[in-house]
Amino acid sequence: MMKDEDVDELLRRRRYEGAFGLLLDRYQEKVFRLALSILKEAGRAEEVTQDIFLKLWQALPFYDGRAALSTWLYTIARNTCYSTFRKESIRMTVAIEGRAEPSRRETLSQQAEIKQLLERLPRVQREAITLFYLEDQSIQDVAQMLDLPQGTVKSHLHRARRALADMMRS
Amino acid sequence: MDCQEAKEKLLESFDGALSPDDSRQLERHLIACPNCAEFGESLNSLDVQLREAITAPRLSPGFRAALRARIDRQPRRLWAHWLPDVACLAGSGAAILCCVFLLPFPASAVLWIGALIAAASYSVQTLVLSSLEEL
Repeated sequence: MMKDEDVDELLRRRRYEGAFGLLLDRYQEKVFRLALSILKEAGRAEEVTQDIFLKLWQALPFYDGRAALSTWLYTIARNTCYSTFRKESIRMTVAIEGRAEPSRRETLSQQAEIKQLLERLPRVQREAITLFYLEDQSIQDVAQMLDLPQGTVKSHLHRARRALADMMRS
Repeated sequence: MDCQEAKEKLLESFDGALSPDDSRQLERHLIACPNCAEFGESLNSLDVQLREAITAPRLSPGFRAALRARIDRQPRRLWAHWLPDVACLAGSGAAILCCVFLLPFPASAVLWIGALIAAASYSVQTLVLSSLEEL
């Protein structure tokens, strides 16, 4: 199985094409899921995943090894997603409001309802709980992708569960 | 175990398995406390709904081809990434040598001062570039 050290070695030998291929194999789905947890829409998340890997390709020759490759890649990914999110926030707000008609809530399926409730959580709690389920319930992976300590991720998850449980009861 | 502790343990149980001791204590508390048992039920039901609602789609099969096409459309770099470093060091070296011959000071002093200034300017350049990359 490919390790980040293999990529480091290729980068040291300036074999960027090979290193990029290995990074795609290992991280493309994870980066896509991270983008999905932030942008919430699969089509947009895929486009932004392309943007992220394009930036990665351009930045590879400048990787200096000060941060772990995964940390570096997730930082590029998060910054790109947040920047896209900020640019499109007006459009997305309109879209979400359009979907979240409270008067029609009772007619929506349970899945749609829980997705609406997720929208009402603070951003970091929503991202943590979404990634937790997307990443096969691995706190370690969520912590790495959001660049947060594991204890902080747990605390966001607990708050999110409490808030969702309260919302479901009310 | 009181209710507050029981609720914390219930929440923790979704992050990973509780210790056998915590599990036993929690089980005992839930049998005796209908409020916490109800809270546990609501968390279980929430967990099931979240599992069903949050599923991971996969990237489309054309993802890599589309990415490759975008990479191929990128203009090629005009110079190698190491060239600015080499140019900076070569320029500094040339300037120091000129100063050694032209300035009316001892050559060793000019060499030392020049080397220090070159090292400082290279550090500043590296810092600026790495800050720009992080942006």
